[in-house]
Amino acid sequence: MDFVARLDKVSHEYNKVAALRDISLSIPASKMVALIGPDGVGKSTLLALVAGVRKLQTGSICVLGEDIAGARVREQLGARIAYMPQGLGRNLYPTLSVQENLDFFGRLFGQKTPERRQRIDMLTRATGLHAFLDRPAGKLSGGMKQKLSLCSALIHDPDLLILDEPTTGVDPLSRRQFWELIDHIRGQLSNMSVLVATAYMEEAGRFDWIAAMNDGAVIATGSPESMRERTASATLEEAFIKLLPDGQAQQPFSQRPREAREPETIAIEARDLTKRFGDFTAVDHVSFTIPEGEIFGFLGSNGCGKSTTMKMLTGLLKPSSGHSQLFGEALKNNDMSARRDIGYMSQNFSLYGELTVRQNLLLHARLYAIAPARRAARVNEVLKQFELEDVADSMPAGLPLGIRQRLQLAVAIIHRPRILILDEPTSGVDPLARDAFWHKLISLSRDDGVTIFISTHFMNEAERCDRISLMHAGRVLELGTPEEIVRRRQADTLEEAFIRCLESETGNGDDDADELAKTPVKNTAQGPLRSSLSRLWAYSWRESLELLRDPIRLFFALAGPVILLLAMGFGLSFDVNKLSFAVHDLDRSPESRLLIQSFSSITQFEQREDLSSVEELDRRMTEGSLTMAMEIPDGFGEALHVSDEVPEISIWIDGSMPFRAETASGYALGVLEQLSDQFSTQSSELSPSLSINTRFLYNQAFKSAHAMVPAMLMLILMLIPAIMSAISVVREKETGTIANFRSTPVRRFEFLSGKQLPYILIAWLNFWILAALGLWLFGVPLSGSLPALSLAALLYVIATTGFGLLVSSFTRTQVSAVFATAVLSIIPTVNFSGLIIPVSSLDTSARIIGLAFPGAWFQPVSIGTFLKGFGISSVPLNYLALAVFCVTYLTLAVLALSKQER
Amino acid sequence: MQSLLNILRLTVKELRALRGDRVMLLLTVYIFSVAVWMVSQAASTEIRDLSVAVVDEDHSQLSARLIDSIRAPMFAEPDLLTPAQANEAQLNSEYVLVVSIPPDFEQDLRSGHDASLMILADATAVAFAGNGSTFMAQNLAQEVSDYLTPGVSSDAVVDVVFRNRFNPNLTAQWFSSVMQLMNNVTILMLILSGSSMIREREHGTIEHVLVMPVRPHEIVLSKILANGLFILTASVLSLVFVVKGAMGIPVAGSMGLYIFGAALYVVAVASFGLMLASFTHTMGQYGLLVIPVIVIMFLLSGGITPLESMPDWLQITMRTISPAPHFVSFAQSVLYRDAGIELVLGELAAMSAMALLALALVIARFRKILS
Repeated sequence: MDFVARLDKVSHEYNKVAALRDISLSIPASKMVALIGPDGVGKSTLLALVAGVRKLQTGSICVLGEDIAGARVREQLGARIAYMPQGLGRNLYPTLSVQENLDFFGRLFGQKTPERRQRIDMLTRATGLHAFLDRPAGKLSGGMKQKLSLCSALIHDPDLLILDEPTTGVDPLSRRQFWELIDHIRGQLSNMSVLVATAYMEEAGRFDWIAAMNDGAVIATGSPESMRERTASATLEEAFIKLLPDGQAQQPFSQRPREAREPETIAIEARDLTKRFGDFTAVDHVSFTIPEGEIFGFLGSNGCGKSTTMKMLTGLLKPSSGHSQLFGEALKNNDMSARRDIGYMSQNFSLYGELTVRQNLLLHARLYAIAPARRAARVNEVLKQFELEDVADSMPAGLPLGIRQRLQLAVAIIHRPRILILDEPTSGVDPLARDAFWHKLISLSRDDGVTIFISTHFMNEAERCDRISLMHAGRVLELGTPEEIVRRRQADTLEEAFIRCLESETGNGDDDADELAKTPVKNTAQGPLRSSLSRLWAYSWRESLELLRDPIRLFFALAGPVILLLAMGFGLSFDVNKLSFAVHDLDRSPESRLLIQSFSSITQFEQREDLSSVEELDRRMTEGSLTMAMEIPDGFGEALHVSDEVPEISIWIDGSMPFRAETASGYALGVLEQLSDQFSTQSSELSPSLSINTRFLYNQAFKSAHAMVPAMLMLILMLIPAIMSAISVVREKETGTIANFRSTPVRRFEFLSGKQLPYILIAWLNFWILAALGLWLFGVPLSGSLPALSLAALLYVIATTGFGLLVSSFTRTQVSAVFATAVLSIIPTVNFSGLIIPVSSLDTSARIIGLAFPGAWFQPVSIGTFLKGFGISSVPLNYLALAVFCVTYLTLAVLALSKQER
Repeated sequence: MQSLLNILRLTVKELRALRGDRVMLLLTVYIFSVAVWMVSQAASTEIRDLSVAVVDEDHSQLSARLIDSIRAPMFAEPDLLTPAQANEAQLNSEYVLVVSIPPDFEQDLRSGHDASLMILADATAVAFAGNGSTFMAQNLAQEVSDYLTPGVSSDAVVDVVFRNRFNPNLTAQWFSSVMQLMNNVTILMLILSGSSMIREREHGTIEHVLVMPVRPHEIVLSKILANGLFILTASVLSLVFVVKGAMGIPVAGSMGLYIFGAALYVVAVASFGLMLASFTHTMGQYGLLVIPVIVIMFLLSGGITPLESMPDWLQITMRTISPAPHFVSFAQSVLYRDAGIELVLGELAAMSAMALLALALVIARFRKILS
């Protein structure tokens, strides 16, 4: 038999926790192959290793006959493998349309425009997406996203298609259509191998070959039939449970019927509940009544409005119209006592990860105001009931999913609520733990009479509910007991009933899918350089589109620099004007008035109300309303005319702000100097006169803004472009689209410089806007060569965006990227690049730190070109240094980026 | 009563969360100790070690004395250059000041002629050129007069006694260390309060709490209380042990009053952070929003350059939208001028009003945020 992939003794661990244990597996070629098993058993890791997107730790893997240890081999294989990562449409770009998404993938494989057109046309027609080419991927339904992901995987005719849980969270109809589509495509491309991971056991029946996995190991392989026969089971799920090490001992799940009580109390009632978000109706006139003690199941795909309905019932969301009642009363925002009747468990784990299991329970017990005397006992009781005693003092984050779900349920019932609202409590939990969870639910309902409202997308769970409702696109399509619904829709199983229900709702399920074109599209291979440019351009083009469609980032990129320049240009001023001063004049002579007038006549000083006493002087200075106070003693004027007497005046300056105080005393000295000349010429004493002239070079008016604006250019063009480019890469890590970089033949340089390009352009545009503001708004003269400055700015922004790329290589989240970039760039640029303190006054070590960043090199060019008439030839070394920074940062970023995930 | 208890319980929970965040704790310790010390050492507008060159075309005894008089701490040791070199060097920003002594300077003075010295200041270094040249001129004039008429203390007709109140030697560190403290409080508080809200929203824990008998204002207040307490304690410890203790900066005013004002400021900034957080959905967006806010709040607080130097409209705007200028003025009054509470009532009232407004907005928007 031919093998598409062979694994030999493959092991993998994350932070010392084993994900795969010594797996040796040969996967047959040209077949539909499934890896089955619950979440967290290592299926995704195995697929990622085979696809080459994750770095192999131990063992060896051959894919399509080649050992994937070598980077060159992986690069070649990249063009023959398609990998669709886990998560609904996680490798798609939500703001890009269907067409744009597919264009992007086509470009990544170096396809020329005509070829790309043809392929996109063919694939979208085959999947029924052709009518939605212009719709943004984020606005597609789950099933359509899945199809789009598939199209993007198939765009390059892969030999091996790897799908990681492609149908999780999709409604049964879309799921069925998806598999039919795959079968259809395999019919056309018969030698394509398909490797799928799935947690839906019932789905696995359609595969040719199955590998069942548990706890990092393969526990059985073979065809579905052989597996059922081997374990003598009716279903694959049963077979799987029996294959588990302790599975044989497992009791089959038993249901206890509900005993109807008379008269029935209505626990939950919803009438015409509707919720609109903008023009999107998430929940559309939903009505139901649930009697006390019933287990009511809510079935539907992701995004059909289940969670929104639940949130309205708990009072988290306000309905747009309609109303809901709990035990006959509407839930009001301020109604705290009604909330004691509700226990709620949200879809994702939503307890505090920073508190231990016991602390979480205690916090909830306290918030539900359980009396202190009974609190500890109740917490212990619940710990026991849910078998959490062993983990009571551990942090929830380190616990397996099944235990965390139990903890969530324990928290939800700690206050003995009469209603439990559970939003997909078992998604991602293995079948064994799921059964255990249901035992608890049944006991709560049957023994304690708790009303349970539960949502799920597992059909076998739905069958355990007393009554269920099927929900689709915000509306309830069916409501009744499972048997009733199956009967009404004339189906054999609940799943089939659901599918029929959806079909009658959406028209014929088999949409306008055409035949896949019979004549395969020709591969129009481009030269290596051309296809490299095509990949680089794919990233630039996509990044630009995404940026243009993200208002917050776009605002930050375009308005951010302007706001900063305005604020700092106007605000960060070293022009000290209008210093408040007041006089305590005890002399009141013409001379003292002349003295006062010489102060008040210049704009640097602003005279305030006269002081009448020393106490007032004290008070007003302490208040901070005077910067300078002056006391002219009695007899000042007379003493001036007596030759051997030197009259004395006192000046107090508020020293709490040293710069202002220094400047004030400087101004005062200047005024007194002049005055002294005036007085001495009056007394006509002849002495050699020394004049000291100060000339302010390059900024004759000595205006703060003239020097600050060019310096601000340096700071702003460092900060904002670096943050933007750092975010652009880290975003991909966070949203998961980085998988496309890992699984396609894109090189690291193409990826990074492709993403850098749009930011260079924006930052350069920023430069022109800032320069224009500087010239016209702040009136900074431009004495040097503008083309030279713009060239320096271009080099500078290439360097600063490159710096952002470098930062992105060691940050994982957007927040840390923002702050790391800000902190790393602000400290050297503000302190050591001549922004405020001239570089010439820094000591050597500070100077070296400054020169290690591009800011210190751009600063002299910016200041010089504005104020000193510089061109390129004045400071050629700085231009050269900036160019070196451009190359260095990009090179380091490329080296630091790993093509494979660790 | 139950409401107060709930706030208390949630506050304890927030404090536990802070304790678990090792990186944040380390960062806080670093920022309030080493960083306060370093930045207040480095970023100063004090005239110190200013780079100076002298063009001496006189080569006389007097010119040698003048050159000797240019010395530390204000000026770095001057380099002697030719006019052409000086011109070139100043163009390359190698010197902030160039003193030019013309030929026959001493002779001219001795023979009773007028003589002039020239100080060329590189005005692109705005923070230093003005004061630097004033001090240089003062220094040179003093030196010349000492040389020509030794023994006579001053030939000035008026004797001026300058007294710098509250900071006699105009030590820049006195100012910059406390401003650095304020700056740290602003940055950390904005990040902590905003992220604690967004984190809960991203993790869905806030929904969980809201389903319980807990009111939105209890959640908001507990966040402000916990994070505020943490940052306030850190800043007071830093003031006592780093600023007063290690750096030896005398703090004149009443600590009690300062802590009260700082607490108000912390509450105001925390509310501000929560309000900003209510306008964004993810931490990434919050990061983008908060960076310009931090830069503006910091640079335009009056803590770097005097508020009076800004255009009037900007002063009024900043005083209306940001609590920072009020805190700067409060801190200066209390810590340096030993002002009593009656003199800072206005600033305290302004900060309280801003905190209340932001809080009201956050609570009003609270349920809307969830949808």
